Amino acid sequence: MLPAALVARLRAVVGADGIVDRPEALLVYECDGYTLERAAPEAVVLPRTPAEVSAVLRLLAAEKISFVPRGAGTGLSGGTLPVAAPVMICTSRLDRIEAVDVRNQRVVAQAGVVNQWVTNAVRAHGLGYAPDPSSQPACTIGGNIAENSGGPHTLKYGVTTNHVLGIELALPSGELVALGGAVEDRPGYDLVGLVVGAEGTFGVVTRATLRVVRSPEAHRTLLAVFDSVDAASEAVSGIIGAGIVPAALEMMDRLIIQAVEAAFRIGLPTDAGAVLLIEIDGPAAGLDVHAARATAVCRAAGVREIRVARDEAERAALWKCRKRAFGAVGRLAPNYCTQDGVVPRTRVPEIVRSIAAVAQRHRLRIANVFHAGDGNIHPILLYDERDRDEVARVRAAGREILETCVALGGSLTGEHGIGVEKVAEMPLLFGPDDLLAMTRLRAVFDPEGRANPHKIFPDAKVCVETRAPRRQAAV
Amino acid sequence: MIDWGGLVGPAWAAPGRADDAVDGVVPATVVRPGTVEEVQAVVRAAAEGRQALVASGRGAHLDLGAPPARLDVLVRVDRLARLVDHQAADMTVTVETGCSLACLAAALAAAGQWLPVDPPRPEDTTVGGLIAADLSGPLRASQGTVRDLLIGLRVVGGDGAVIRGGGRVVKNVAGYDLPKLHVGALGTVGVIVEATFKVRPRPAAEEAVVVACRSAREAADAALAVRDSDAAPLWLEVAGAGGLPEGPGAGAAVVVGLGGIGEEIAAARACVQRIAASLGLRAVPVAGGAALRARLGAFPVEPAAAVLKAATLPAAVGDVMERIAAAARGRGTGVRCLAHAPSGVVRAAVAESHAVAPLVHALRPELERHGGSLVIERAAPAVKAGLDVWGDPGPGLPLMRRVKAAFDPAGVFAPGRYVGAL
Repeated sequence: MLPAALVARLRAVVGADGIVDRPEALLVYECDGYTLERAAPEAVVLPRTPAEVSAVLRLLAAEKISFVPRGAGTGLSGGTLPVAAPVMICTSRLDRIEAVDVRNQRVVAQAGVVNQWVTNAVRAHGLGYAPDPSSQPACTIGGNIAENSGGPHTLKYGVTTNHVLGIELALPSGELVALGGAVEDRPGYDLVGLVVGAEGTFGVVTRATLRVVRSPEAHRTLLAVFDSVDAASEAVSGIIGAGIVPAALEMMDRLIIQAVEAAFRIGLPTDAGAVLLIEIDGPAAGLDVHAARATAVCRAAGVREIRVARDEAERAALWKCRKRAFGAVGRLAPNYCTQDGVVPRTRVPEIVRSIAAVAQRHRLRIANVFHAGDGNIHPILLYDERDRDEVARVRAAGREILETCVALGGSLTGEHGIGVEKVAEMPLLFGPDDLLAMTRLRAVFDPEGRANPHKIFPDAKVCVETRAPRRQAAV
Repeated sequence: MIDWGGLVGPAWAAPGRADDAVDGVVPATVVRPGTVEEVQAVVRAAAEGRQALVASGRGAHLDLGAPPARLDVLVRVDRLARLVDHQAADMTVTVETGCSLACLAAALAAAGQWLPVDPPRPEDTTVGGLIAADLSGPLRASQGTVRDLLIGLRVVGGDGAVIRGGGRVVKNVAGYDLPKLHVGALGTVGVIVEATFKVRPRPAAEEAVVVACRSAREAADAALAVRDSDAAPLWLEVAGAGGLPEGPGAGAAVVVGLGGIGEEIAAARACVQRIAASLGLRAVPVAGGAALRARLGAFPVEPAAAVLKAATLPAAVGDVMERIAAAARGRGTGVRCLAHAPSGVVRAAVAESHAVAPLVHALRPELERHGGSLVIERAAPAVKAGLDVWGDPGPGLPLMRRVKAAFDPAGVFAPGRYVGAL
């Protein structure tokens, strides 16, 4: 139990409306987008400024209390699950865009600013913030930095780490330290590059200087319809291998197509084995040539039909389907869990076949909607959490899929993070010396191990209470 | 005494000579390990014997950094030069760090690909040097820098263990992003032995357009107009007076690199010409864009007493170039400037050695006050003496000290070379 005196002091810092500690109100915080495990914090603190974050952390440091940072809670690896961390620091009230510098293409945003707001703030100037996770209408910049988030368009434009120039970090001691900044090439270790993707284990990011980029002159958005996932996968390999760099290259399989079509009714072919959403962007002058080359590769792979978005409305409709596909999955099963493994892009056909075999072996339904061009798979394992046997099979199947990704030369996670979900799998990818180097790095920022403990690294597994089943909200 | 020859083979260990000096400090011994295991043995021996080592490839960029506080052994990794794995269809390449950029480029070109980083002297620049010194060239305007392309590393750490970070796939967030730690760290936290990069398709063709301007400020403004247009330049340099190795007149200029298929280049060329005309400037297309890019990347080709690298915001490039020119005039030296304009990086080649220290003192505080920096990238040891080559690394310095202590507890790796005398 948190000492009552500490809660009172926290309340004095953040205000009466800045603390959540009634058990029923804490239910909202017991999990993020990863729902296989749940645990509620004892208190959620909602600071309004970086200085308040610092003050909160100083109070926790004095009593050596662990904490977990949280943005919007859209993460998919349980990164915000409080494990032996009684206090959650939620950044949702750090929601100011502090500066927009169009000429230098920089935006300074507080950690709780929603990803989409950044693009909204600069769109009128022909600029945008490139990382575009599907959760971008909700997820925060702080969360994106913690997870090094990606999105469909990162195939061409890079992930979060390529667009963050400066970070203000509140260390677990409470000290605020400004790392990097608006100007490139500052001498010294790339601490910004280390904080990005550290999953909140170095402290709490309070604000960031982001690079915004000029939006491309034009797009061609194609929907290629295939009879089988195999044929679509071959087309993916062919497009990348031919030296075409699409802005995005996304795959949806039949289960997803059917769910999305049921939800949005835009005329997707529900009898297709798979569709590829191919977007090519850049200077208008070359687009037809590049689109024709991509089309030729699809033809060679046996494409059934290629539709081209005729206008911005059709393009938007196609992207809405892709980005809300996870939500549409709610129609298929009460619960789902998605994996985020990566394979070398030419191994996409193999991993997709392997996923189908895993589904059959474990008697599970697995839907696929993923960043095919990056080799970043997102198999969605459908289940009903009231069926304990099915839950066990979901866990086993997930691990098998990740083992196959690693065996094919890939990684456990492309953009969702290790969180609590994949700590047990880390040794598949990294040896003891690699993990030791990472824990040494962690101790540089967090010598007491109080920032988001028990994440990323396979230490003594702490039991997380599994609460009563509850229907999963669609994200 | 450590038997270095016993660790790497007698043929690959020799006493250091004058031309092995790192910023004027001659190492007692030079070793050239032939395997990663031999690198590990050398690092272990150095750590146990409290010896200081500097890792080097072909020595092309050893001018960067402060003189080492101690130097016992120079570890040249140029024999570790294998192309380990080029998966052309995956657009990734894994290479040992002694491989030269020219050699790597030739292998990638055979598949129509490139690693789009273009520092000077690719024949003498190794992959390890590229990473450790965080080298870049004009292409950074559109392709980013090493940190954007590096996806995996193998490094021999302070205890001699091989540490792997990242991987071989283009998207990967498993564990901390350890490769970032080594980019630009000048070998102060380990000896990098293998790297994996994502590569990109080479543009079908390259061309350039030179826009002659009346002043550096005008050129910098014109460059941002090009950046903000649909020309989508591949690279974009701004030259102050004398900054171009050749070109129309001795004045300032914007040089716009264009890449892509014929239709794209034609449209971009027309776009640049329209912008130039609207500003009352003349735009001259130049065939052989790649060759011009290489010549600009080699700046400065003429001898200079020092090369300073100023980093600022893109919109301040013209102002910084004019301030550098004015400061140089005031101190009676010639200076030539060339900038990677969209990145805010200005290089200044200072002609006279007596002017270097006064210029650094005159320019650095103002740059740092606005979040920028001024680094002495190249100068003779006598010119560097008494100067802080790096300047203030900012409020992260205490954390950087702890990083150094965590990864190099014995103080083996290039002591004194890096920021804050790390």
